[in-house]
Amino acid sequence: MSAVASDVGLRTAVQARELVKVYGRGDTAVRALDGVSVAFAAGRFTAIMGPSGSGKSTLMHCLAGLDSVDNGQVYIGQTDITKLSDRDLTRLRRDRVGFVFQSFNLLPTLTAEQNILLGLELAGKKPDRAWYDTIVDTIGLRQRLSHKPSELSGGQQQRVACARALVARPEVVFADEPTGNLDSRSGAEVLDFLRMSVRKLGQTVIMVTHDPVAASYADRVVLLADGRLAGEINQPTADSVLSALKHLGA
Amino acid sequence: MFRATLAGLRARTARMVLSSIAIILGVAFVSGTLILGNALNQQVHDEFARQAKGVDVSVGISHATNAGDNTKITQDTIDSVRKIPGVAGADARGGGDIAVIKPNGKAASAFVATIESTPQLQEFDLVSGAFPKADNEIGLDERTAKSLGLGVGQKISVLGPDDKPVPLTVSGTYSQGSNSLSLSDMQVLLTPSALSKLDKQSGLYQIVAAAAPGVSQQELADRISAQLGKAFSVQTGDAFTQDTLQHAGQGSGGLTQFMLIFALISLVVASMVIYNTFTILVAQRTRELALLRCIGAERRQVFGSVLLEAFVMGLVASVIGLAAGIGLAALLEKAIGWIDGSATSVSVPMTASVVIAAFAIGVLVTVVSAVLPALRATKVAPLAALRSQLDTHDDVRRTGVLRIISAAVLLLGGAGIIGLGMGLKDQPNATLFTVGGGTMVMLLGVIVLGPLIVGPVNKLLGALPSLLFGVPAKLATANAGRNPRRTAATTAALVIGVTIVTMVTVVANSGKQAAAAQVDKRFPADFVVKSSVYDHALPADLATNLRSNGKIAQVAPSQMAAVNVGQIGDEEATGIDPSAIGTMVNPKMVSGDLHQLGPGTVALNKQAAGTVKLGDQLVVSTPDGNKTLKLVAVYDAQQLTDVLVTLDTLTSVAPKATGYYQILVKVKPGVSTADGQAVMDQATANIAVADVTSAAATKDQLNSQIDSLLGLMWALIGLAVVIALFGIANTLGLSVLERTRESALLRALGLTKGQLRLMLVIESVLMGVMGALIGVVLGGAFAWVLIEALSNPELQLGLAIPGGQLGVLLLAAVIAAVLAALMPARRAARMSIVAGMAEA
Repeated sequence: MSAVASDVGLRTAVQARELVKVYGRGDTAVRALDGVSVAFAAGRFTAIMGPSGSGKSTLMHCLAGLDSVDNGQVYIGQTDITKLSDRDLTRLRRDRVGFVFQSFNLLPTLTAEQNILLGLELAGKKPDRAWYDTIVDTIGLRQRLSHKPSELSGGQQQRVACARALVARPEVVFADEPTGNLDSRSGAEVLDFLRMSVRKLGQTVIMVTHDPVAASYADRVVLLADGRLAGEINQPTADSVLSALKHLGA
Repeated sequence: MFRATLAGLRARTARMVLSSIAIILGVAFVSGTLILGNALNQQVHDEFARQAKGVDVSVGISHATNAGDNTKITQDTIDSVRKIPGVAGADARGGGDIAVIKPNGKAASAFVATIESTPQLQEFDLVSGAFPKADNEIGLDERTAKSLGLGVGQKISVLGPDDKPVPLTVSGTYSQGSNSLSLSDMQVLLTPSALSKLDKQSGLYQIVAAAAPGVSQQELADRISAQLGKAFSVQTGDAFTQDTLQHAGQGSGGLTQFMLIFALISLVVASMVIYNTFTILVAQRTRELALLRCIGAERRQVFGSVLLEAFVMGLVASVIGLAAGIGLAALLEKAIGWIDGSATSVSVPMTASVVIAAFAIGVLVTVVSAVLPALRATKVAPLAALRSQLDTHDDVRRTGVLRIISAAVLLLGGAGIIGLGMGLKDQPNATLFTVGGGTMVMLLGVIVLGPLIVGPVNKLLGALPSLLFGVPAKLATANAGRNPRRTAATTAALVIGVTIVTMVTVVANSGKQAAAAQVDKRFPADFVVKSSVYDHALPADLATNLRSNGKIAQVAPSQMAAVNVGQIGDEEATGIDPSAIGTMVNPKMVSGDLHQLGPGTVALNKQAAGTVKLGDQLVVSTPDGNKTLKLVAVYDAQQLTDVLVTLDTLTSVAPKATGYYQILVKVKPGVSTADGQAVMDQATANIAVADVTSAAATKDQLNSQIDSLLGLMWALIGLAVVIALFGIANTLGLSVLERTRESALLRALGLTKGQLRLMLVIESVLMGVMGALIGVVLGGAFAWVLIEALSNPELQLGLAIPGGQLGVLLLAAVIAAVLAALMPARRAARMSIVAGMAEA
């Protein structure tokens, strides 16, 4: 366990061990992840950073059970998700994981409210009204719940996506460049909301980003380069992240 | 631009395959029908040409002047022709009907022809044995021999002039030629002299002669004409061939025209599928087209590019469709040969017109269907290249005023045409076509209105699956409703097919009901005995026998004769048994009382009565007798002849009409149909011509005729429905491609692969049921209109909704929709989530 980067003294929410992911074969094979071992503490906001092609998105996809791995294990809680069937993996995503993607987070046919509740409906669960109200009030979109995504701004759409990720009280929320398509003001709103969900609501959030400012909202930054772990920063600031990235040669 | 189009075509081949299938099927249907028509015409042509084969001179009885009025072709005529120098051989030809006694002892009418003694003049091909040479020999057509189960050397009897069986020996079997459609009855061959002995009515109508070597047709014709005189018309073999082929001209037009109507419907449906495909493709390519516009493509070039795509697709589909059409025609010819049991040789005559028609239709339908989508493509603004959101308002809106106005015009116009047709009640055919056309115009109106209809219908239909299947069904309903125009265009093809199927089915079933009612009217009796052979009457003692049977309650024989009624003219008269009046003969009365019918009285049908009044004295006569009769009743009944008298009166007027034309029989209460049938069979066992039918059997026969016609229509219209289902699969497939990211998102959020597939299947079923349901409702309504239009006081059609058949139709739509969704659903579920999310 010595190779595993982790937050000492906190319960582990998500953990990767010796993760290997190879794209292509033979001469053209690319080791997108080359033996990554990393642990993410519960109740904390962690950012995964690295230059383009460092494997940060691949790591997140593997952690979240969206993509298969070629070697190694991924634990969410006590569950080794690399051993799960597609059906069980789908259930796990539905019941224990929340997602916020860079864009195209919402179904265009559903209203904002329907989108927020979609995951719960898929699981056949009734929403906890008080919790739902808390979240809706936090994202500040109560007036726009009956609107279709095409009637919302990009920032509003991302906040709805965040609300959907949180409403089922998942063990972990994965956010893949959640501010990548937003202007800085809207981006700040979304990041504030994610940080608040960790601080006030005790949520675990793992976010992939290439933006040092976005990363500075996190409690901890995990750095990735060429498919390997390349260091970490606790209590990051935009400047500390930027200099660390420069150090990586990005 | 041209190169960009071709590159695009290559890239989108897969997306176009399904819509090409729609065109391929349509073209195959049309070209197959045309080729089949040509093949059948060719067969009819060959058949007629066969009559003129080897004939150098043909002699007939002259109809040009009155010179030939009392002329007959006799053995003397033949002999005199044979003696003319230059005649290598001459034979008489004749034909008519003859009663052949089948192995079960029952007589049936057969068409008889004569065989020529000169081999060169023989128009039939020998299959086995020999042609009949002696008067006690008979030749059987191959199929007739097969159906009778007889071979060379076996005996068969025919009814002679005195109704006595005459035994004949089968000398051989022969084939009629390749035409198997027009000749379905029994066919036999006799020598000319045997024919004139066995059947006095059938005459010889032609002498054919072959010329000796060195004698021209014209020379020989002149010599024969000089010998025979003006009473005969003489023509050369060449002229005879020309005449004959002219008759062949109207060979098989009916069948192919009938099939072409259905081929046309298929094409309309196929064009809707094409239209929809191109609309979707243009919508999906908005960014690509906008990019083209950004880098300088003109609107005209964008338009041309889309049309060029359609042109290439239509061309390829036409080639495949034509090939499929050739196969289809060959298959149909085989099927026709198989149905009537003849070994028909399959030929697929290709004419330039078939090829041109196939390509013209395939290419034209495709290009025309793509015009509207291509126009839409030109409206893509260069800035749209920067936009990424699906389902923008542009796609969904525009179900505007223009649509409502044109729909209203079509609906009102259709209603107007129907109203016009309703006014033509006295011409059933004109009514049928006008009202039918009106309903089709209204159908078009509904199709135009489609985008406004599908939303509410979709919500309504989606409620049930949402309850049953939860989220996937809710998502499916939302997807089916997200682009009303696309959904409407997809279902429209199905609506057309199902509407027409429903219309035909409901009208046929209502017709069946009316037919059953007609049978009840015509068959007040339980059984009817008729002579199976025209002009061979039933023996009088059959009625006596039946009367003495304990299970029979009433026996009413009748006879018919052609009579002349003074003041009115030539009429068919029926002599009835007075005891049957009021029971088995019970027509609707206009005036007077039929019970007064007795010696010295007569009753008339309303349509014949004219100005004649009750109490008038009418002279009823035949060449053999006459009587003056008092008119006592006028009735109104299509199923009776125009003149009714008692049997005794008829016998005194027409003493030559012996025996009975038919005998109506009512069994005693409590006697079952089977028992009654047994009694009837026993009583008629030794009477070859007696043909017993029961009301029940007649109804069954009528129903099975209507059913087989309906089956044919279902099969023909089925192709249009199949094309429509390809359309659904196509739309769904394209939608799935378009929604790759959505599917990936749903999978990421916890939708299982099974649920994703279920969602697409439900979406497909929703579209299928929507189309089928709208079609059934429209078809039912149109059928009702048509039935109302066709009903008249004589033939009251009641609306009969065949719940079972329509249920099967809806069920088939559901199953087919599930099948249509399988491929797209598989593809959607197989897509990896990460790859799906990355899709632009």
